[in-house]
Amino acid sequence: MNTEPTTLLQGTLDLLILKSLVAGEKHGLGVSRRIQQITGTFVVKPGSLFPALHRMEEECWISSFWGDSENNRRAKYYRLTKAGRKQLEVETTRWGRISWAIAQALEAL
Amino acid sequence: MPLLVKAQSFLRNLFLSRRVEVDIDAEVHSHLEMLVEENIRRGMPPEEAQRTARIELGGIEQVKEQVREKRIGNWLQSVTFDCRYGARQLRKNPGFAAVAILTLALGIGANTAIFSVVYAILLKQLPYAQADQLFNVFEAQPRAGIPAAGWSYDNFAELREQNHIFSDMAGSNQHQLTLTGRGEPAVVHTSVVTAEFFAVFGQKPLLGRVFLPDDGKRGAAPVVILSENLWRSSFGADPKIIGSSINLDKRTFTVVGVVPSTFRFPVLTEGEQLWIPVVQDLLFSSWMPQRGLHWLQVTGRLKPGVSIRQAQAELDAVSTRLAREFPAENGGWTIHIVPLQQDIVGNVRSALLVLMGAVGLVLLIACTNIANLLLTRATSREREIGVRVTLGAGRARIVRQLLSETAVLGLVGGLAGIALAYWGVHALSSLLPPDLPRVNAIRVDNFVLGFALLLSAAASMAFGLAPALFAANSNLQSSLREGGGRSGESRHRRHARSFLAAGEIALAMVLLVAAGLLLRSFAKLMSVSPGFNPQHIVEADISLPRYQYSTPQQWAAFSDNLLARIQSEPGMQDSAVAVPRPIADGCVNMAFDIVGDPASSASTSRTADYVSISPEYFHVMGIPLFSGRIFDRRDALSAPRVTVISRTMARLYFPHQDPLGKQLTFALPPDRGVAREVVGIVGDVRDVALGQDPGPMMYVPYAQAPFWGANVVVRSTLSPSSIAATIRQEVQTMDKDLPVTDVALLPDLIDASVSQPRFRTFLLGLFAAMALVLAATGIFGVISYSVSRRANEIGIRVALGASRGTILRMGLRGTLALTVAGLAVGIPCALAASRLLGHMLFGISASDPAPLAVVTIGLAAVAALAGYIPARRAMRVDPMIALRYE
Repeated sequence: MNTEPTTLLQGTLDLLILKSLVAGEKHGLGVSRRIQQITGTFVVKPGSLFPALHRMEEECWISSFWGDSENNRRAKYYRLTKAGRKQLEVETTRWGRISWAIAQALEAL
Repeated sequence: MPLLVKAQSFLRNLFLSRRVEVDIDAEVHSHLEMLVEENIRRGMPPEEAQRTARIELGGIEQVKEQVREKRIGNWLQSVTFDCRYGARQLRKNPGFAAVAILTLALGIGANTAIFSVVYAILLKQLPYAQADQLFNVFEAQPRAGIPAAGWSYDNFAELREQNHIFSDMAGSNQHQLTLTGRGEPAVVHTSVVTAEFFAVFGQKPLLGRVFLPDDGKRGAAPVVILSENLWRSSFGADPKIIGSSINLDKRTFTVVGVVPSTFRFPVLTEGEQLWIPVVQDLLFSSWMPQRGLHWLQVTGRLKPGVSIRQAQAELDAVSTRLAREFPAENGGWTIHIVPLQQDIVGNVRSALLVLMGAVGLVLLIACTNIANLLLTRATSREREIGVRVTLGAGRARIVRQLLSETAVLGLVGGLAGIALAYWGVHALSSLLPPDLPRVNAIRVDNFVLGFALLLSAAASMAFGLAPALFAANSNLQSSLREGGGRSGESRHRRHARSFLAAGEIALAMVLLVAAGLLLRSFAKLMSVSPGFNPQHIVEADISLPRYQYSTPQQWAAFSDNLLARIQSEPGMQDSAVAVPRPIADGCVNMAFDIVGDPASSASTSRTADYVSISPEYFHVMGIPLFSGRIFDRRDALSAPRVTVISRTMARLYFPHQDPLGKQLTFALPPDRGVAREVVGIVGDVRDVALGQDPGPMMYVPYAQAPFWGANVVVRSTLSPSSIAATIRQEVQTMDKDLPVTDVALLPDLIDASVSQPRFRTFLLGLFAAMALVLAATGIFGVISYSVSRRANEIGIRVALGASRGTILRMGLRGTLALTVAGLAVGIPCALAASRLLGHMLFGISASDPAPLAVVTIGLAAVAALAGYIPARRAMRVDPMIALRYE
């Protein structure tokens, strides 16, 4: 696994967090590891992760609750809300447009 | 829905912040522990696992701070926290808090008080509808040195009919009439106006009506309009006053209206006054047909969209036409237009602006002082700031915190300042010169309060920003390593503080020099000889109703009789009659010609102040005779006309010749065309005000040129009140309807005539004293702080054998550098600023070196003292204690 940290594009962190929660609720570390796993390159540091999680919770895209972890440790879990799923669609379309546009631009060169 | 939830999180963040904090703390800790477990599962030893986990997390407190910064309502919360923290800091350092708040309160209070005066006099609209359209229009005769005179009625009437720039114009003049028939006879301030007067000012009546065009025509019934105050005080607010009759100078007028007391014109008048049409006034209506007499003050309302330049252009055309059509009366006369507001406040404007500038400088010095205090404190708080930065606070966050703290300081200081301003305005109102226009409008109203709050906000930014930026930029490692920095502070900061202290000296210098100039000028003014001896002189004003006393013979007989009665009273032999009275009444300027002088023609007008006196006057006033004779009883109405002139008049109009025996003629009543022979020359007198150089003056015998008033001057050692009582009693036995007004001691009148210079001198002196004290505290603070910071170094030096003198010199060197820098900047600034005072000075020039020299030496001495005290403390430092303390 390539753990060389790659800088996240502005605005992609939200998309990745939302995407990582689609499969089900996760705690902060779970979100971080899942993003690492599905992207293979991005390491989300807690200093970026937690502010983003809290901000998204205030935006009502995700909700949180305290539960037990796989090792029976208290941990704070996050799950997608209805608004969050909608936001994921919005972000996905937006990202699709951006990446298509960038790809076009690169081909033109 | 999302908005609601957002509001919910906002409120939760704000009010349940403790729960939110516990929650985030638990979350980050659980995250850390899970990281550790993960590492152990990968096979790391526990300690290694802990370390790696902590490195990946990047610091619990930093993560928490980053989350906090992203939260909704974070700024509000942090500002609240910072303010509370700031308030706590102030409570913890009561000495610092007291000095800073007091300093700021003085600055804000003084500024607010002066601003309330400036606002009321210079900024507030005049109490007339659309006052910015109102302009005063003057006729002027530049060649004869008459800068602004009134209009002749005929010129005014033509201009009013034919102009295209004014929507309407009105003329007015003022004098006193005697109101009788209602209790005590009273002298009432009367405005004699043309019929359009109230329409021009857009003033509606409280009761009845204002004047109609018909009221201004010759032969109209006599009508009068009362001010609300007069209606209340003299007529008991009689609701049936409209249509009733009152007596003015023994003539019957019908009251047609009452005007609210908010309307005053001129603005300076007391609230009690009345208005009559010009045609109804005996004196002024007799002047109406004479085109050569300039007496009507004209105010016009410009049409919307007409600029003052367009107006002036048309007025120039009018004056050219008038001069062509009536060369004898209007030759050489010009017309100029001045905004009403500017005309009213013209002479006090610059004085007020200077005061505002001075008090602004005081605030600037106060801010500098507080900035210095804050810098000092920031240095000792370096460690605290360092810890905050280590725990994840960004630079902006630190600046915000320090600014919030200073905002608390600014707010408390500002509120204290506003309280001070209320008191200050109260104190000012007793100090204000009586001849200041619009004094009644001065108060701390909402606008002034807004100004004060804005000023304190600006001030706290001013003194808070520099220390905050310094603190935020401080080097993290060094501040922590220095352990609170006993061994010296950063060079930048020390320089900043010295710079501020030097700035204070420069600012204080400007104020002190200005105050010095005004003080010296005021001292000169007070020591100038008025040309007469004012001690023990009482002046009283008796004016005669012109219906009852209509002929000059009656006037002369009345005053002869009155004077004889007064002189027969014990202790009051030295009495005389004079119209106008010196200082109290100002002057009457009269044009004259010299008989047989070829240079004498209409183009060069000769004028002199004209006083009608009884023979005893020169003796009573102590005015010396230089040649010829003074008047005696033989100079009666039937005898040849004579005059006594002043030395300045002799020098000015009779150069290189003997004026005695020369004859003067006048164009105006009462002596039109009659030749007067010069029989004596007397000393010069400052008849208008102490500050005004004596101009040419001529005296005529009252018996030959009586007025409808007998103004009495008495030299007596009796008390003023008993003199007044005696005069009143004599007047009442002659005519019970005659009022005696304006009884005053001449020294008091002279005192009142210098009230404006006294006012500005006192205030500027006060501000300069404040500046001096603030600057001295500033220097004292800087030097004593740097000494205390260097206690350790001094201890070592002493231990190594430095003498006390060396240590003292070391302390004083800092003071010297500061002072020299401050003075070097201050001297040119003071010189530039004193030029603004030029026209306010009497007897000295703005570049007078004495105040500058005195202030430079004095300021250096004060600075030396302020630096010496802490330096001496440094000298006494016990090396053992200083070193052990470290």
